[in-house]
Amino acid sequence: MDAAAIPAPIVAAEHVSKWYGQVIGLNDVSVVVPPGVTGLLGPNGAGKSTFMKLITGQLKPSKGTITVLGEPIWRNPKIYFHVGFCPEQDAFYERMTGLEWVRALVRLNGLTDKEADEAAQRALAAVDLMEAAGKKIGAYSKGMRQRVKMAQALVHDPKLLILDEPLSGMDPIGRRKTIRLIREWGRAGKSIIVSSHILHEIESMTSNILLINNGRILAEGDVHHIRDLIDTHPHTVYVRAQDPRRIAREFLDNPEDDVRSMRFEPGAVVVETGKPDAFYARVTRMAASGEFGTIDEVTSPDDNLQAVFQYLVK
Amino acid sequence: MADPKSPGYVSSAMRVFDLSVSEMLWSRRTIFMALVVGAPVLISMFLRLLDALGAPVFRVNGMQMAGPAIFGLMIWVFYLRFTIPVLGVFYGTSLIADEVEDKTITYLFTRPIPKGAVLLGKYLAYMACTVFVVLPSVVIVYLCIVPMRGSLGGSFIDLVKDLFLLAIGLAVYGAVFAVIGARFKRPLLVGLIFIFGWEQMALAFPGYLKKFTVAYYLQALVPHAMPNDTVVSLIQGIFHENPSLPEALFWLSAILLSFLWFAAVSVERKEYVLEQ
Repeated sequence: MDAAAIPAPIVAAEHVSKWYGQVIGLNDVSVVVPPGVTGLLGPNGAGKSTFMKLITGQLKPSKGTITVLGEPIWRNPKIYFHVGFCPEQDAFYERMTGLEWVRALVRLNGLTDKEADEAAQRALAAVDLMEAAGKKIGAYSKGMRQRVKMAQALVHDPKLLILDEPLSGMDPIGRRKTIRLIREWGRAGKSIIVSSHILHEIESMTSNILLINNGRILAEGDVHHIRDLIDTHPHTVYVRAQDPRRIAREFLDNPEDDVRSMRFEPGAVVVETGKPDAFYARVTRMAASGEFGTIDEVTSPDDNLQAVFQYLVK
Repeated sequence: MADPKSPGYVSSAMRVFDLSVSEMLWSRRTIFMALVVGAPVLISMFLRLLDALGAPVFRVNGMQMAGPAIFGLMIWVFYLRFTIPVLGVFYGTSLIADEVEDKTITYLFTRPIPKGAVLLGKYLAYMACTVFVVLPSVVIVYLCIVPMRGSLGGSFIDLVKDLFLLAIGLAVYGAVFAVIGARFKRPLLVGLIFIFGWEQMALAFPGYLKKFTVAYYLQALVPHAMPNDTVVSLIQGIFHENPSLPEALFWLSAILLSFLWFAAVSVERKEYVLEQ
């Protein structure tokens, strides 16, 4: 591919580490985030929030460099014309109405009162919160509070939106709406980095993910590439069959399948294998031969993103 | 990458001021401020009531003190030595700390304005909140106390001087404690040690140490005689020496500007790690 056609990264981190005293928050992370929607996945305490704070310029790397939209972010306030951040914490000026709050914040971007008012109304409408715009934030539900946070992040129409756990605490309907919004913004050309510790949430927004754990990026890229990575990890395969014990014996008799553990469930055997490709091939041959009775179902939780995550963070 | 036009430093600070002033006015600290400022008002009303009932209010050696003298005493005791530094320490140290504690600082620090402008805006909000509460209370005290064997017109210039010096006191103490708030881990404790430890001690000794206090310069602006109401103030009275008015104003301005600048620079460079 022509180098000129490669889109410039929206975030680039080079050997970034962050320590909080003796505690390490991020450990020698080098990563390039391309334009589009990117999911940052990791369990609580993995380093997601530290990464988010570093790429939003709230923290300075202890080591390494971070650029956002091609510029250093630390002590570079002008970059916030192009970056919108929705933090994780449920913190507000509770006595202000949603409209007052969003308007006051976007005024800090240099907008006039009239422009700020219009922009705030647009942003609140975008998150479906205009009906409650005149209510005090203190009276908002959890879902409304999340949405007003997102409104302040997108009110100045940034190129890059950074959303830290935006679905946290939302009800299922709010969740669905927010996921739809994020996908729409992505389609509209915005770059979005969204963090979550729940994979199916991210899965529903994007296939481009960064997996983070213990302060390190474990994997990055398209979910299908990451899927390849998990072949180096043990797979769990569920085989529902007419005679599960006979099938289990066959697996154990063939060490090349690298069966590491096995347990029985009603009408099925659940196998953990280190060589999933070879294992799947054997099961296919066994089913085709008919010697082991019928094999009704072969499924693997590895086929969904949740399993990718679980494998890689182990 | 073409950037939209940034608001200027002062304009940014004024926008932060707009955002912060009502939050600050309705914060928990306001209850404390109301108590601190309300006490002299209530006392002055009580004294006025006693005087109206013919009770011997502030009789010293058989002589009854006049209203203007009592007012001067209250300016020293209630306002200059207590209210102004205490409000300065409680508000000044919390300019950024409150936002950090409430975790709302993120919204201000991820906007295209310098962090120093956030501090300046918060400082201006502090000034508005305190000046517009403290100064009216002084006027109420004046109206209650001075007419007792005194004339309102005759002491009016002193009132104007008092209001001016108290506003300057709030400004300078606020700037000093803004630095302490930005630099120290336990700013409130450090601030209280500064006003009730360092300043009291330094003023009680002869020599140049007192020049490293705010109170030394503020006292030069007070139009009333310094009372000897405690042992410390008696000692301070013995070694009392005032700088000239221009010198006091110069140093107060210098302290205000330099500390405000230092506080802004400190906030610019500091990382704020919010509790998870």
